[in-house]
Amino acid sequence: MKAKDKKQKVEWKKLDNASKIFPATSNNKDTKVYRLAAELYSDVDPESLQKALDLTLRSFPMYRFVLRRGFFWYYFESSDIYPKVELESTSPCSPIYIRGGKNLLFRIFYYKKRISLEAFHALSDGVGAIWFLETLIFHYMKIVHKEELGEEIPSFEYGASISQKMADSFWKNYTPKIQSAHLKKEENKSAYKIRGKKLDENRMRVIEGALSVEALLKLSREYGANITVFLTALLLYSIYLDMPKNKNKKPIVLSVPINLRSYFNSSTARNFFTTMNVGYDFQSSSHEFKDIVGLVSKKFKEELTEENIQLKLAKYMKLENNPVARIAPLTIKDIFMKIGNRFNDKKISSSISNIGKIKTAKEFEDYIKQFSVCISARAPKLTFCSYGDRLVLSFTSPFVETDIQREFFQFLSKKGIEIEITSNI
Amino acid sequence: MKYCGHCKVYIREDHDRCVLCENILEEFDGKTEEVFPEVPPFYESRLGIKIMMFISIVALVVSFGFNMIFPSEINWPILFMFAVISIWIGLIIIIQKRYHIPKKIVWQVFIVSVLAVFWDYKIGWRGWSLDYIIPIASVSAMIIMYVTAKIMNLSVSDYVTYILLDGVFGIIPIVFIVLDLVKVIYPSIISIGFSIISLSAIFIFRGEEIKAEITKRMHI
Repeated sequence: MKAKDKKQKVEWKKLDNASKIFPATSNNKDTKVYRLAAELYSDVDPESLQKALDLTLRSFPMYRFVLRRGFFWYYFESSDIYPKVELESTSPCSPIYIRGGKNLLFRIFYYKKRISLEAFHALSDGVGAIWFLETLIFHYMKIVHKEELGEEIPSFEYGASISQKMADSFWKNYTPKIQSAHLKKEENKSAYKIRGKKLDENRMRVIEGALSVEALLKLSREYGANITVFLTALLLYSIYLDMPKNKNKKPIVLSVPINLRSYFNSSTARNFFTTMNVGYDFQSSSHEFKDIVGLVSKKFKEELTEENIQLKLAKYMKLENNPVARIAPLTIKDIFMKIGNRFNDKKISSSISNIGKIKTAKEFEDYIKQFSVCISARAPKLTFCSYGDRLVLSFTSPFVETDIQREFFQFLSKKGIEIEITSNI
Repeated sequence: MKYCGHCKVYIREDHDRCVLCENILEEFDGKTEEVFPEVPPFYESRLGIKIMMFISIVALVVSFGFNMIFPSEINWPILFMFAVISIWIGLIIIIQKRYHIPKKIVWQVFIVSVLAVFWDYKIGWRGWSLDYIIPIASVSAMIIMYVTAKIMNLSVSDYVTYILLDGVFGIIPIVFIVLDLVKVIYPSIISIGFSIISLSAIFIFRGEEIKAEITKRMHI
């Protein structure tokens, strides 16, 4: 009887501000699923991975929640589903959330030397998921390399309490008094749309290029920029080189996510990010790569001020707190969010996302080759992360064509950077 | 690894051509890896649905054609069209809500009731929809729901809301009796009585869960 009572006690949580859009806008073409992968030097042992996953889930209770529809909003609900690690058998970023389905919002794959975590974006952002993957890898290493490590088993730095990890940082950190009128109005101009022939079955083409952080940093510095600014400029430039010249009336605009944890005191493992748009008009501005870097650099400095970030947060929270929006039934909200999303999509051509540096204990460095990240995309998108000196640039694209990717990697290789390419098709 | 002399990049997998420029690759160190699995194409034939769709269209065309050649007083091709549409609505709901059985059952009660009233009205209002269909549908739905919940070991929170909804629906025949819309009152009385008893049972024994479910589902 006692066990039964325990089973019936269901916990639930509201979705945070950034999560709200994902269930309404995900579909088979854009699944809103991202993948974080760790590549080891030896083949993955599924049994140890399963044990590591069981241990990891204890520190991340949110990962056992399912997403459900209420009358007014979606919500997370705790479940008693135990996830199993699976041999990778689907195309990267295949659908996870199915409307009405009651399944977990993530999955763990293994294939040869690779461990992949795929998650639905409503559950967590890339930074939150890295935390999960780091914990998983920690437990896995500890189980698999028990003998080699001997006494040297490092202790794991949990970093935050479970309630901190489950916190809705949007609620905790926004200042409602700020007038969002101060926020510079985003340009309403539609952006250049990258077109191409779709791959069959809505599959994603992933092309990853691994290179040295040091070499890339050196090259970026030559242009007076940091890595993110440099790569953003290079992506703009690569899209421009591929763009039909009769279409260059429209600017190329990239959406760049901003990790809000670095601006606020938060250690949530859920979503806590916003985005900014970085555009470049090739019709009226210089076509020199150097000038593009300069402009992108300026735009980053303008956008990433503390005040601007506060304003952005307040703007989104205001939308969520709007009384009319709140009492609208979910079916109506879904429709409006889809329309809003479509309008927003018109203003951007692609996106670039830096997930940051991934860290593991020093003792494990000999066993791990690299980490990589990719995300579902309706146009070629770039995501990257680094581990030690190895940075992996991943392009995800729904298209057959690879011209943008080619221009991008050729630019780097012509500057003398050694690149190792991996691709799924 | 292999090497692309055009792009000046190394390729880790065993490809013949460069994924970037499609030029032929050179050997580099003879060692290649397989990083991603090959995912075979996923065939979804949906042949059953295609055949049904085709039969529906053929049947409709034939019935309209027949009616034009041999006119009759009742516009039966239109009725036939409504029949086809009714079947499709029922099917779509079954397929769409396949993950959620209690929800599906409540939807079926609703759809069956609406269609029954519609059909009753269309073929000269004999009142059988209110007399029999609505009360019987709601009572049987409640029994089916409770039985499936027990068999499938669903947790109370999964079905309690739907039994509640169906219970409220099952009381509606009170209106039919009060407004004197029904000729045969036994099914209605059974439905009303059954619904009131189940609702009170739910509220008395599962009141806490219902409260929790409602705050969760209705949070603004």
